[in-house]
Amino acid sequence: MKYWHIGFFILQLGVDLAHSVTAFPFVHYGMFSQSFVRPDTLTVFRVSVDGEALRQTDFAVYRWDMVQGPLEAAEKRTATHDFAFDKEKLQAALGSFYNGLSPNLNNTGDFVPWYKGYLGRLLGRPVGVLKVEKLSYRWTDGRMVLIQTENWING
Amino acid sequence: MDSGAQGGRYARERQALLTVYGIFYFAVFGSMIGQGRLLSQVQPALWNFNRDVSELVVIASGLPRWMTAHRGSFLFFDILLFALPLAWVATGLRRWLGVVFVLFLSLYLLLADIFWQVHHEPFILYVLLPLALITRKFNEVLKACRYYFLYIFISAAVWKIARGAVFNGEEMSRILLFHHSELLTSSCDGLLCRGYTWLIDHPFVAQLLYAGGVLLEAAFVVGVFTRRYDRLLLALAVVFVVADLLVMRIPYWTLLLGCVTLWLDTRPRQLAIVVYETTHHENLPALLDLCEMRFPRVVVFLREGSFANLSGSQSPETRWPATEFVVQAPAESNRQFIRRLLRFRCSHLHLATLDNNLLLWALRLMAAPEVQVSVTIHEVNAFFARPLGSLRDVTETLAKPLLRLRVRHYHFFLPAMAEHFRERMPKASTAFLPSRFYAAPAPAQRSSRPFTIAIPGSVDANRRDYEPVLEVFRRWPAQLPPVQLVLLGDSSSEFGRSLVAQLRAQTKVRHYEGYIPETIYEREIREADLLWSPLRIHKTGSRHNPEIYGRTTASGLTADILLNNTPALAPAELILPDPFTVAILPYRGAEEAAVLLQGLITDARTRDLLRQQIHRAFSNFSKENFAAAFDTLTALDQKGEEGSADAIKAVQPNIQ
Repeated sequence: MKYWHIGFFILQLGVDLAHSVTAFPFVHYGMFSQSFVRPDTLTVFRVSVDGEALRQTDFAVYRWDMVQGPLEAAEKRTATHDFAFDKEKLQAALGSFYNGLSPNLNNTGDFVPWYKGYLGRLLGRPVGVLKVEKLSYRWTDGRMVLIQTENWING
Repeated sequence: MDSGAQGGRYARERQALLTVYGIFYFAVFGSMIGQGRLLSQVQPALWNFNRDVSELVVIASGLPRWMTAHRGSFLFFDILLFALPLAWVATGLRRWLGVVFVLFLSLYLLLADIFWQVHHEPFILYVLLPLALITRKFNEVLKACRYYFLYIFISAAVWKIARGAVFNGEEMSRILLFHHSELLTSSCDGLLCRGYTWLIDHPFVAQLLYAGGVLLEAAFVVGVFTRRYDRLLLALAVVFVVADLLVMRIPYWTLLLGCVTLWLDTRPRQLAIVVYETTHHENLPALLDLCEMRFPRVVVFLREGSFANLSGSQSPETRWPATEFVVQAPAESNRQFIRRLLRFRCSHLHLATLDNNLLLWALRLMAAPEVQVSVTIHEVNAFFARPLGSLRDVTETLAKPLLRLRVRHYHFFLPAMAEHFRERMPKASTAFLPSRFYAAPAPAQRSSRPFTIAIPGSVDANRRDYEPVLEVFRRWPAQLPPVQLVLLGDSSSEFGRSLVAQLRAQTKVRHYEGYIPETIYEREIREADLLWSPLRIHKTGSRHNPEIYGRTTASGLTADILLNNTPALAPAELILPDPFTVAILPYRGAEEAAVLLQGLITDARTRDLLRQQIHRAFSNFSKENFAAAFDTLTALDQKGEEGSADAIKAVQPNIQ
């Protein structure tokens, strides 16, 4: 049993050192250890439902995460072309075996209808018109100053 | 030596782990319902690559794709999330079901991260801790989980130092800006938001917070080398979570499950019993006899006065040579004394008197689930009473349910008390042990001395009815020899002095004021021809609660009577079990008492026969005859269960 424990901690340490990749249950405990560079702009999603913008202060922490989290994930999916880089790496590693798996890897769902439905369940009312904007801010003189607004989702 | 997961070893620790785990598990996943985070609530349609190999395997398996095409599967998974642990517990922690539960929980967490990015970090111990209950290596797995919990913090500290973040003077300011960007774009008129703004603009102060966090995380290194500071680390973990919530608005309380590994102390403990006594030292002798018989090490924590009067004829060290006595120093407060006691690493703790600091005891005992605790109950009704009249009442009322939850083994001086207690707390394990064991009759007294009657106990109108005593001597026949009456208790009260004066007008009286040293007390009892216990059966208890002698509380008579084979006059209402009954001469009033008393004085043969009968009956009060009851009290009879958890070195009880 002792060797199992030692093996577990060696793997954990290895994953921790590898840093960019994890293998559940071996995860990385950094807790805000990466050195942050002061960003020029900060992007925030403004979600409006039927013309009314949702405010963070009206939501508990986790519920607000569930409003914002899917948007961040969707943005990342779009930016990475549905994680094309990861799939390339996987293909390189698996060779021909990859072809059999690829249908399982590719997202085919439509984000906007799903998000509207989920948001409706979260808010407890149907979502008629959904609008998501990407707002770019800059921290100036002790406050956030809006410098750009970009329409992202209209549905 | 380890037995199976269902076996007896570490039973108490396993139960504690299961309880804590269950509370956290259902609180964490139950709260997800309110947050709309269960699979069936989210009904995801897309998945994410999070650079986790295990997640990649799950995605490649086609399960996420299949689930998004079959929405009913989400509800099925949610039902399993709650039903599997319940089924596991309901089936008595069947090993195979435990394995299924752990695998399923792992899969659920992977899916949660794949679908809506639930970070795994605070959940790993939810997967690892059940292994302690599944495998045969409870202690080893729990120890490993403890190291893992320490590792979480140490790793976080090391990374912050290794990557130089702690040396970057603006790190925290930037983190706050990035992390709270959404909140900062709002009106930001709340106290917290204004606080974040201030910290962002004061990077040095913000960085001090960051450095403080790193120091706190690094402090967990201590736990790698010693368990001495585990409770302090537990407190630090709570501080960390609270600070995380305040500064980062991250509700990381899920992580606190790991505190159970710091709370449960499974280090090997010696088989040793610690006895705590404050005011009722006269009830200790039998307990100490049995402790010495069954435990290789016995330590008694008691007050100076109790120590001095513990044993009437010998010093405590001579009478119990294998017992260590720790006497409370005069300047030492009760709380200091209790703290000192709790630092003693014993397997068993017996509270021979628990009439002070109940809340302190309750909390400290809750914090030490690995110790087998038993308590002597002196007043049953008081133990269940819920007074709220004073601060002390309130704290005791709060403490009692905790004590009843923590302590399952109770000791009583009468079987009727134990029975009555079980009616109110059916799950309790109760044991009747007398105050002392009967040794042998005292040497016969000189025939020339007057017939001596001892009335033990302080002269107290609440507890004793002296009217029959006065009445008997008021009508004492002139042809009978005079009687020597000994009031064997403090008679310094106004009532006591008045009683002494009234009795002196009728017979010879010897009385005492203040505390009577045990040597004198026991000598008087042994030399008496008759004991008289004029009890008021219904009395007011120590907390002004109604108590009934013989049913909810025991009179000191049950201890005194075992010092010799002396008969005792007692009200007929007082019901005592065999073999006490042989020695009890019950009376319904002064007339009956007079007849019994005069019969004894005039008939020496009856007196001798009665003494012989008492001697034979009391011979049953031997430690050998009560060893089984003591084993029940200390759970030593539950071999491999509570009393002899893995934590205790395997020492067979030494039956002499």
